[in-house]
Amino acid sequence: MSDRIVFEDVSKFYGEILGVNRVNLSIPPGITSLVGPNGSGKTTLMNLMTGLVKPSRGRIEVLGYRTDDSENLFKILGYSTQFDAFPKGLTGFQFIYSYLRLAGRDRESAEQLAWRVIERVNLVDAAKRNVAGYSKGMRQRIRLAQALAHDPKVLVLDEPLNGLDPLARAEMIALFRATAAQGCYVIISSHILHEVDVISDQVILLSNGYVVAEGKIATVRGEIQEHPTQILVRCSHPRELAAKMLENELTIEVSIHKDERGLLLKTRDADRFYLALNELALNGIEIELIAPADDDVLSVYEYLIGNEEAVR
Amino acid sequence: MKRVWWEQIKAVIRLEMKKTFFAKRGIWIYVVALLPVLLFIAYAIAASTQQHGRANLAGKSERPLTYQDLQAVKPGMTAEEVVTLLGKPPLRFQWKEDRHVEPEKATENDSEGEQKPEQEKTVEVQHEDYHYSDGQNDLFVGLENGKVVGIHLQEGNNLGQDTIMFAGVFQFFFLRLAIFFGCLGIFMNLFRGEILDRSLHFYFLAPIRREVVMAGKFLAGLLATCTIFATSEVLQTVAFLWHFSPSARDLYLYQDHGLEHAAIYLGVTVLACIGYGAFFLVAGMLFKNPILPAAAILIWEGINPFLPGILKQFSVIYYLKSLCPVDIPAEPGTPPLLALLISNSDPVSAPVAVLGVLAVALVALYASSLQVRRMEINYTTE
Repeated sequence: MSDRIVFEDVSKFYGEILGVNRVNLSIPPGITSLVGPNGSGKTTLMNLMTGLVKPSRGRIEVLGYRTDDSENLFKILGYSTQFDAFPKGLTGFQFIYSYLRLAGRDRESAEQLAWRVIERVNLVDAAKRNVAGYSKGMRQRIRLAQALAHDPKVLVLDEPLNGLDPLARAEMIALFRATAAQGCYVIISSHILHEVDVISDQVILLSNGYVVAEGKIATVRGEIQEHPTQILVRCSHPRELAAKMLENELTIEVSIHKDERGLLLKTRDADRFYLALNELALNGIEIELIAPADDDVLSVYEYLIGNEEAVR
Repeated sequence: MKRVWWEQIKAVIRLEMKKTFFAKRGIWIYVVALLPVLLFIAYAIAASTQQHGRANLAGKSERPLTYQDLQAVKPGMTAEEVVTLLGKPPLRFQWKEDRHVEPEKATENDSEGEQKPEQEKTVEVQHEDYHYSDGQNDLFVGLENGKVVGIHLQEGNNLGQDTIMFAGVFQFFFLRLAIFFGCLGIFMNLFRGEILDRSLHFYFLAPIRREVVMAGKFLAGLLATCTIFATSEVLQTVAFLWHFSPSARDLYLYQDHGLEHAAIYLGVTVLACIGYGAFFLVAGMLFKNPILPAAAILIWEGINPFLPGILKQFSVIYYLKSLCPVDIPAEPGTPPLLALLISNSDPVSAPVAVLGVLAVALVALYASSLQVRRMEINYTTE
């Protein structure tokens, strides 16, 4: 059995409208975020991964399972969609319980698993109420509970933090991390870049149906040659250091940080630049901190896609 | 079949039953199913009232009359002869009429060559209507000037005639319209309704074969339609037999194949639900607008008697008509096309008919199973 989620030359067209085009991916375990503006193909990619839509071209396999083999695929996969509709007349508990019965669980185990996952998403008090009366955040959580109910190895979550209050967001992020820490695959799409930055092990950046970058954020950042790397240096004498750094050929731009306690430097060769900084430190300039200033998702997103759609 | 599939089918049925039975958009199906019941109740009430009137009239007769007595009255008899035969009428109406008669031909005055004016002439006619009853049938006798000029023997409720009426209502309303549109409403909504509600993905995200979802939904629809229409069929039979005397009912049910006919009608109802259900299940997956497939299938079923033999076989009504226990005779003078529609000119044997409906349903279900595997969740295009 393969240990990856694999897309091979996958394209999806809705009539003449492009969903995604020529996507090649190999997604490892951990938290992978799909990032891109509206209409970039995030939901299409997730729907393709879960067999809700069929590729116009190419092949998709999730840990070795074909996406049209729903019987086996959804034994290892849970999907929390953006579709905000539920079967009519069901309470939160019945929604999860029915899903587990559909999955072939017997009454007792379905009931047990349903309560366990409802507790996990913190909805016990509302479990006996009709889903139609839930708030947006509660509906989001019950959908998440459905995706988690059968302990899947792959968790696909389309905008899972939408509608959640800050406390619930923190709880959910902790839940995703715990799930990923167990060796699971957590695929998340989100607009909220600082949250993506905090939780993701790797990102897939999408724009207009194309994958523009994928991998660990730092690696992706390193591959963007046209934007010099920004480095933040905290030190006791920033102006003195700035003068010395300008003498170095690796430095492209230097600016004093607005709090006057550091520098922002730009370079095209970060590795050699770090070595140069080390030498300066040895020569008596006290350096408190050296840190990359633009290897986060937000910067990568801005460099590759533009910032008009980014939500900070 | 794997045991887990059966458990999953039961889970789908449980989810679907509530939606199917209590859907607001399905209330009209109950109305359509109840219409023939209401028709037979109204008929039974009218027939009972008539029957009560006849019994009353028969009680008022001078002596008990038989059907043969009523038939013995002939045109030209005098009032006295009628009274001698049947006794004094329990109900009698009389009135007078001044009737204009043909004027005499004008005569020519030979001497003066003038014509006399026409003579206007009226005669007084004494009318009488006698109404007799033997308790089951009515006899209306019309007399003019003491002579019988008109006889109308109105036979009371006749189970033989009524079974043909029942067969007509069953074949031309219940089967072709009520069950047809009821199945359309329920089976087309199994998938189409969920797509409109944007909730179909709930099933498609579970570890369950899509064919199993389809089978569960079909069985749920079948359970609902069979319950609704079989109940209607039973109620129709009860309402239809209600106004007959217990002895007439027993005779019909146990000696005149009445019970057998009722069972066959129930069987045909179930087969109709299977056949039309399978058709509309696949139509609900293929078409966004139910009117188009409904109209196409309705026309196809309607023109079935006029189709060549090979094409007839791809129809549900072709087999169901052959299973109906009572043939509806076309009245003399019925236009040929209508007569062809009424009669079953090309019947098939019962086993062939049952297998035919099941085969047509299986073909439609196979098409559904292929379609359900191809379905995509893309609500925005709906």
